[in-house]
Amino acid sequence: MESNQKSRSLIKGTIISLVIATISLVLFILPAEYNIDPTGVGKSLGLTVFNSDAKTTAPTAAEQSLHSKQESVFITVPAGRGIEYKLVMKKYSKTNYEWITSTGKLYVDLHGEPKGDTTGYFESYAIATANQMKGSFTAPFEGSHGWYWKNNSDSDIQVQLVFDGDYIIEGLK
Amino acid sequence: MLSRSTLAYLLHAILLLLAIVSVESFAHGVDDSTRSFLENNTGVQIIPFMYIGAKHMLTGYDHLLFLVGVLFFLHRSKDVLLYVSMFTLGHSLTLMTGVLANIQVNAYLIDAIIGLSVVYKGFDNLGGFKHFLGHQPNPKIAVLIFGLFHGFGLATKIQEFELPSEGLMTNLLSFNFGVELGQLLALMFILLAINFWRKFASFDRFAQTTNTALMSAGFMLIGMQLTGYFVN
Repeated sequence: MESNQKSRSLIKGTIISLVIATISLVLFILPAEYNIDPTGVGKSLGLTVFNSDAKTTAPTAAEQSLHSKQESVFITVPAGRGIEYKLVMKKYSKTNYEWITSTGKLYVDLHGEPKGDTTGYFESYAIATANQMKGSFTAPFEGSHGWYWKNNSDSDIQVQLVFDGDYIIEGLK
Repeated sequence: MLSRSTLAYLLHAILLLLAIVSVESFAHGVDDSTRSFLENNTGVQIIPFMYIGAKHMLTGYDHLLFLVGVLFFLHRSKDVLLYVSMFTLGHSLTLMTGVLANIQVNAYLIDAIIGLSVVYKGFDNLGGFKHFLGHQPNPKIAVLIFGLFHGFGLATKIQEFELPSEGLMTNLLSFNFGVELGQLLALMFILLAINFWRKFASFDRFAQTTNTALMSAGFMLIGMQLTGYFVN
């Protein structure tokens, strides 16, 4: 008799925990993590903002105006530090670039990260230690592409970066 | 009476859920600055790797939930030490061999099993195994085995970065040591909280609710990770 009651309460506990888990998965976790939102509750709560689709729809209008216009930016890479400057690019879109440092050499890694990737995967197009570089690249996948500069010296270094092509500027990261 | 206890179940699980949702912002991977460090790392870096290990453990709610489950009914420091050692032995073993022997396991599946370990411990604390199987499966062995899976989980996080072989052993040992430091720090807080709570009558009254909530959190982890596995 007592054993039956224990069984019942264990089964009840397990079922309750499963039900709560399922509800929170369907309503909150899956919409936020994977943009899977069968009920629409996640969207109405604004939980689907973590999905990158929402992020790229806004700048697409701006994309038209930025297209092919030449940009020039000055970036300071602090001594002993690394800095990233990124562009959001569609698959097979192209960017021409040229950069030069004020003084001294920087370690550079020109690379791209696929859109929506959370594993930290990236692909390098060029790795060098140089005081200037000129070239172009075509994005092999949609995502965030750009330069990582590392200043291994003990004084700050300025970089002038000039570029044009098909992208949305994401800027410093 | 029945409806009151059901309500208590629900309330606590919802509280726990809120707590989980709020730590969701930590995410469970590695953040941007850590990533940029790992990508550009060369050679031996003892302190940074220790820091990453400690941070991963302290912000890894799946590991912490499991520890809460393991420690819930342990009040003798001898037992605490023994169980934590079993867990440490388990995860260190697979963390080191996983990375050094380059054993590739799917991170989502491993994280789902880590979720299962939380469900297991919650059910075990409810006395479920003892009741249905007639005896409790050796809890020390269970902690050791799940420790092995937690270690594989830690290994997959490090393997994502394809660390250079130069200084790998030292870096790994530093990471592992950092994990233990982070675990020790987390344990202090968990033990403080549980031991404090244990003094009150509410501890026994809500033990069942808490462990049911723990199971629920484990089920959420399983669901989240399995979905991730099928989506990617």
